[in-house]
Amino acid sequence: MKPEFLPQGPALVIEDDGLRILVVADTHFGAESELCRKGVHIMSNTPDRLNRLLECIDTSGASLLLILGDVKQSVPVTSWQEKKEMPEILSAIRSKIELKVLPGNHDAGIERFLEPGELFQKTGVVIKNTGYMHGHTFPDPGITGRLIVAGHHHPVINLYDEVGCFLRGAPAYVLAEIDDASLKMKGLVPGTRVLFVPAFFELAGGMDVCGLKKSGLSPLARSIIEDTADVFLADGTYIDTIGGIAADKSD
Amino acid sequence: MLEPAIRTLLEKRKFDELSSTQEEAIPPIIQGRHTLCIAPTGTGKTESAMLPVFDMLLREKNEGGGSGKGFRALYITPLRSLNRDILSRLEWWCGELGLTVGVRHGDTTTAERTRQSKNPPDLLITTPETVQALFMGKNLRAHLKNVRYVVIDEIHELAGNKRGAQLSVALERIVEIAGEFQRIALSATVGNPGDVAFFLCGNRPCHLVNIPSAPGLLVEVKYAGAEFSTQAKFVSEMIDENESLLIFVNTRTTAEALGRELFDRGDVEVHHGSLSREVRIEAEEKFKDRRIKALICTSSMELGLDIGHIDHVLQFGSPREVSRLLQRVGRAGHRLDTISRGTILATGFDDLVESLVIVKKALSNECEDVEITKNAADVLANQVSAIALEYGEIQTEKIVSILERTAVFDDFEPLLDRVLKQLEYHRMIRREGGLVIRTGRCRKYMYSNLSMIHDEKKVKIFDILTRRTVGTLDESFVISWINTGAVFVTKGQLWEVLAVEDGMVKVEPAVRMKGELPSWEGEQIPVPFGVAMEGGAIRRKRKFGKYNADRVSEDYILKFLQGMDDARSPVASDRLMTIEHYDDGVVLNLCGGHKANEALGRLISILLSARFGTTVGVEIGAYRIILRLPREIGAVDVLETINSIDPCHIRGLLEIALKRTAIFRWKVVQVAKKFGAIDADADYEKFSMHRLIDLFEGTSIQEEAFRELFTGYMDVARAEEIAGRIISGDIGVQVAPLSSLGREGLTSSRDMIPPPATDQAVINAVKRRIENDNIILFCMNCRKWKSRTVVSRVPDDIVCPVCGARLIAALKPYEEHMIETARRKDKSAEDRAIEVRMLRNANIVLSSGKKAVRAFAARGVGPDTASRIIGTFADGDRFYIEVLKAERNYIRTHRFWN
Repeated sequence: MKPEFLPQGPALVIEDDGLRILVVADTHFGAESELCRKGVHIMSNTPDRLNRLLECIDTSGASLLLILGDVKQSVPVTSWQEKKEMPEILSAIRSKIELKVLPGNHDAGIERFLEPGELFQKTGVVIKNTGYMHGHTFPDPGITGRLIVAGHHHPVINLYDEVGCFLRGAPAYVLAEIDDASLKMKGLVPGTRVLFVPAFFELAGGMDVCGLKKSGLSPLARSIIEDTADVFLADGTYIDTIGGIAADKSD
Repeated sequence: MLEPAIRTLLEKRKFDELSSTQEEAIPPIIQGRHTLCIAPTGTGKTESAMLPVFDMLLREKNEGGGSGKGFRALYITPLRSLNRDILSRLEWWCGELGLTVGVRHGDTTTAERTRQSKNPPDLLITTPETVQALFMGKNLRAHLKNVRYVVIDEIHELAGNKRGAQLSVALERIVEIAGEFQRIALSATVGNPGDVAFFLCGNRPCHLVNIPSAPGLLVEVKYAGAEFSTQAKFVSEMIDENESLLIFVNTRTTAEALGRELFDRGDVEVHHGSLSREVRIEAEEKFKDRRIKALICTSSMELGLDIGHIDHVLQFGSPREVSRLLQRVGRAGHRLDTISRGTILATGFDDLVESLVIVKKALSNECEDVEITKNAADVLANQVSAIALEYGEIQTEKIVSILERTAVFDDFEPLLDRVLKQLEYHRMIRREGGLVIRTGRCRKYMYSNLSMIHDEKKVKIFDILTRRTVGTLDESFVISWINTGAVFVTKGQLWEVLAVEDGMVKVEPAVRMKGELPSWEGEQIPVPFGVAMEGGAIRRKRKFGKYNADRVSEDYILKFLQGMDDARSPVASDRLMTIEHYDDGVVLNLCGGHKANEALGRLISILLSARFGTTVGVEIGAYRIILRLPREIGAVDVLETINSIDPCHIRGLLEIALKRTAIFRWKVVQVAKKFGAIDADADYEKFSMHRLIDLFEGTSIQEEAFRELFTGYMDVARAEEIAGRIISGDIGVQVAPLSSLGREGLTSSRDMIPPPATDQAVINAVKRRIENDNIILFCMNCRKWKSRTVVSRVPDDIVCPVCGARLIAALKPYEEHMIETARRKDKSAEDRAIEVRMLRNANIVLSSGKKAVRAFAARGVGPDTASRIIGTFADGDRFYIEVLKAERNYIRTHRFWN
């Protein structure tokens, strides 16, 4: 498998055995109505976000779009904003590309918007040589023992220099090995690695890559080996390992 | 001239003689003229305004006029505590004259509110914010119909800020309900009475009564050394010498420190804004009853609160502004036409020079101007929403006609249009044709936004290691700046944010040395440009003729300057700026005052950070700018940067650069709240607020944040003036070693200016990673020597210590097995391929040295890629950009994903 980074997403194109897959995570369509309930009053940013996604589809040359969960925002009740917008969003996507969804923790009730066969199980799926899942649950043992691409964690990086902080909350990818003993999972195949994909939603709160492991956000996150976990920016620039970044911070 | 009833009362109160303020102010007010009365504290200003108002109210009553229900006069003060004070002063008069009086503000009980709404008093004492609430109730609004007089007390406290701008609109909204009424305002001395009169009345004619304060003022400046203990001893002696002493300090910290030092005397209390109301009132009472001799206070005591007779005012440290000195010393001798006596105890060199300048200016009546706040977009948003709420729906032209009568909006129609658009976006209003219509949100918004003061919710900082609360942060700081992983300073310690959840910021102690400061709106009173420059002139001329300096002060100043001369240190002045080296950067000695220095300091740091791609820390004072710089930037670089400043570009550069700073984002959040974009009680934990702020790009919210920063927080116009004078040579610039002047003062750390391109952040991070990478050096000549080290420890000249050859291969740790292959006697074809690779590697190291080693340390860089990188002849950052490109390529194409 070979990845290509689309920083304008952030999105990833994965070429695997001749199949080009566009991967995005955590689009959180409909988040603005929840923001309003929380006291931040902005209009829906769906048109911008959807356009960004459609542009990624166009530039990717992919034949499949895989959304790694949290396609929508509101749980447990589907909001009016989602009822209004989701059908339009999905049909705009379908007119360009085949769509598949790995459901996330915000996707309760998403079935009503999807067509038969578009929804995978939440514990993940293997397409060609790579596993995919949202990442909030244990993975299906059947997808372990290889690279699993996951959303859910919204990884970001903060970089500092001699005088102070100067890159704040930049979306980042984390490629990490899994420590089998910490994952404590029946049927786990050794040699599992995970690639955490940053959120596509532009207002997503971020998890600093250095805090990813201790955040306990998911079984996978708490089982990563930090010293060898590589961190990349949205354009694929390799920064360092989590261990290296954390060591710099405590210089 | 006054009604007989009032004359009788005057005699009863033993007012046998009116003060000159009263003599001058009463006649025009009786004649019904709009009047601005400027006079020193303690000259019976309140009575000057209210005796004629009472007179006219009585007359109307006697003539059977004004029989309609409702408030007849409003008395508006900036402070609740002042309201209580005024009430107790006016209650007696009203009682005797058969007029009713009430007070209404935030603390008023519900029962009292209901009573006022049923039976409105003739005179209502209130605050600007509560005036806003009067428009919201149906009954209360009806009670505004009969308002004939509005008195604004301490108008100088309102005219220059957004509270005042809001009040100014409120007055015009009352005109819409009640018709024109008489406007009377009371003010302390200001430099520009005309502007304040315009603020009060708009284009209506306004009569000005201006009583100068200088003749009644006697102030001396003392210096008692730089040690806090000797200063405290001086204060103690002053307490002994006076019956009642009011001691003003500039910060709460000083108040506390001085209080601790003097507490054992038993006749001193402390009074400042952080203390509870009960504690403050008790201190006031004790002082009033002469149970204590001295009261240590901050600006909390500046306004006309009645605390009985004060013999003498001691100002601890320079008062910073002329107006502040007048207000504070004016508190002494609180009786008609007596002299106000005061002493300034200067605490250091700058402080002493500055105090001399301020006293001279005060005695020649050179007071600071009050800058009227014009075209504030958030005030506009607030008042348009309030008007929409008041009327339900209203024509835009009607709104324009209300606003254009005020002095605070000028040529504002394009701005109004942008503000309406923004309010519509946040669902505060709807627009249909020319109509502005309120939405359901509007009322809720108004209830939590009656005030233009940013009432900051505090967010707790919770240390998860000790499981205790270590302090609080301003909510806006949290919204605009705090995210997981951020590092900030509070209570002198560094903290790293783990999460923002459960309504608090969860942190653990951070080990990094640098961080952001959480708050800027301290109690720091800015030193004006004029005062700082005149201080600079004293340093240059060393003459004290015009200044009332005693022997001790003069000797100290001259000795200090002589010390500078002896050390051959050039003395920065109004004509000279010096750039001095110190351990962590440079000190710019520049007598520009806080706000101009703020603008210039930020500008210089922006230019430096753009040029060198590094974060620059800035600390600002009235007489110096401290730049914290990485080692590679020196005083000469700073000098070059200063010489490159073009005054025309200052504003534009600051706009671009401020966008990335914490203070700007913080302001945007505050303004956004006034636009109804963010609720007062918003729950922002799950979202990235610092990215949300990007949505305000190009809106009137952002525009207002800039306007406020460029006028209130920094003085761009003065910065441009200074830059112009540097170009013309009127102000010289000189590089010098650190002097005693440069070393003076400044302890607090401030904001950081991040470099412009985030690419730089990435390059630095990669540089650091590569320098720390492990590397194995292996001699391809003798094939014996092998050394495992990190890149930073590799010497520039790489020689094999065993055979002296320079044919050294640089290998990554996971390539170590290749060494076995190279040493093998019988090599397979595959082994030979590896050997060739290693030889190519060593050849590149031979020709390019350490640069090649750095290249080989990068991910996936073999001999092909390394020679391509080196072949670009890129140096410095460009070299790392090439390395990054190669790594990106490797990551994209390589099988390491499988």
